[in-house]
Amino acid sequence: MSDLETQKRPSMFERKDVKQTVFLWVVLTAIIGYVAATVQVHAMGAAASETMSTTIHMIRVFTWVAAPVAGLVAAMAATTLLAKIHFGDTPPEEADHQIRNSPRASSTWIVVSAVLCLFAVVWGMVVLQRDNAAILDPKAMNVNVTGQQWVWNFDYVDNGTVRSADLYLPVNKPVVFHVTSKDVIHSFWIVQMGIKIDANPGYVTETSVTPDKIGIYDIRCAELCGLYHAFMQTKVHVVSQADYDAWIKSQGGQA
Amino acid sequence: MNKRLLAALGTVILGAAVIAGIGTYVASAKNDSRVLVATPAGTMDTPQGNLPHYTLEMSSYPDSMAGSHGTNGGPHPDWVTYGPVTNFQVPAHSVITVTIKQYDGGERITNDFFATVHGTMDGTATVNGAQVKKVDAETVGHTFTLHGLSDAKSQLFVNIPLPAVPDSEVPDSGYTKTPVTVTFSFITGDAGNYVWNCEFPCGDGTTARFGGAMSTQGYMSGNFTVVNA
Repeated sequence: MSDLETQKRPSMFERKDVKQTVFLWVVLTAIIGYVAATVQVHAMGAAASETMSTTIHMIRVFTWVAAPVAGLVAAMAATTLLAKIHFGDTPPEEADHQIRNSPRASSTWIVVSAVLCLFAVVWGMVVLQRDNAAILDPKAMNVNVTGQQWVWNFDYVDNGTVRSADLYLPVNKPVVFHVTSKDVIHSFWIVQMGIKIDANPGYVTETSVTPDKIGIYDIRCAELCGLYHAFMQTKVHVVSQADYDAWIKSQGGQA
Repeated sequence: MNKRLLAALGTVILGAAVIAGIGTYVASAKNDSRVLVATPAGTMDTPQGNLPHYTLEMSSYPDSMAGSHGTNGGPHPDWVTYGPVTNFQVPAHSVITVTIKQYDGGERITNDFFATVHGTMDGTATVNGAQVKKVDAETVGHTFTLHGLSDAKSQLFVNIPLPAVPDSEVPDSGYTKTPVTVTFSFITGDAGNYVWNCEFPCGDGTTARFGGAMSTQGYMSGNFTVVNA
């Protein structure tokens, strides 16, 4: 019996590289979770609808749920990059390949991944369903949205023949957008309200939102649509009902 | 530092640099590098006070034998085009009066929102001397539509429909002797980069006639730069 066989191997968690990986995993999970959640949410700007508030909360939760996975991958990569190089045709004596054939490790990984994915799918579907509820609200106002390289225009169909290149909306009133395109596929995205839907030529797609903060927010095209796609942007002005009515009248419409 | 870590970092930095370089090159590429700078024309009284006044003149042609592509029409002599160039520069916080001579025919515009004048000083333009708020959506030649980014700067959206030259006045060769003359004035906001393009689908048959001249710089679109005076 060789010396190697008689020597008792340390358990996996007593090994130096495993300890280092676990330490890095914990540290990197905290860093990735905090930075990713903070930076993402900051970049998304202040929420101007409940839909966006819900979306931001969802992204925070999803980021923290995903952080341990990203942290583990980063920790293993860092440990590998920092490890001593071993030369030769055979693995080093201290190498332990048990995990490669470990049913416990495999099943743990599969179950955890499945639970995380299921959690994200179910939560996402619940939020999506709730956000589109205003489409069925009979009190919601209707706006036709037309995308055309590289400009948006809006028709306020409940207020006569008013049309504009900037969007005007009253605060705290549900609005249903009927979206289409005159040429290629665009995507109608009100950034701070958390809604985005494709504008397809020859079809009308619908989405809805209830803006809950007075202010000026951004509308962008979110589908690469040609030469000046980056300039396919405009503003949405969320104003009080009185100011909205006054604006509609100033445009020749009926409040 | 560990050599492998250094090599990994170097690979990431090199990859990012290559992508950034390609992006910068593509962003700065222009088919037509020439810029027409607005001509000073004194001052003008406006609702915002007495502002500096500048003028720009341009034309829209039924092909590329005039304008910025030379007498042989360049690579696409049959494409419609604006001229003499397609990039413009104007001062910030000024009145800009633009005169466009429209030499092309036309037909019904697909989105009649663009048959209406938007964003000018009084919401009107003059067509052959007559003041209008919109033109007949059935006979539009082209549009001059100016817009920009939705950022903190002043919003600038101007849309001017250019009526078509009547079919009876479009010659078999060359250009009509009686182009439609459209004049309009608008006030610029803060300095910034904007773009303009035609919203009448006058390109080739791809993507609902928004291809070809409509989707290539130097024909029916260009840059519109507002600079501090």
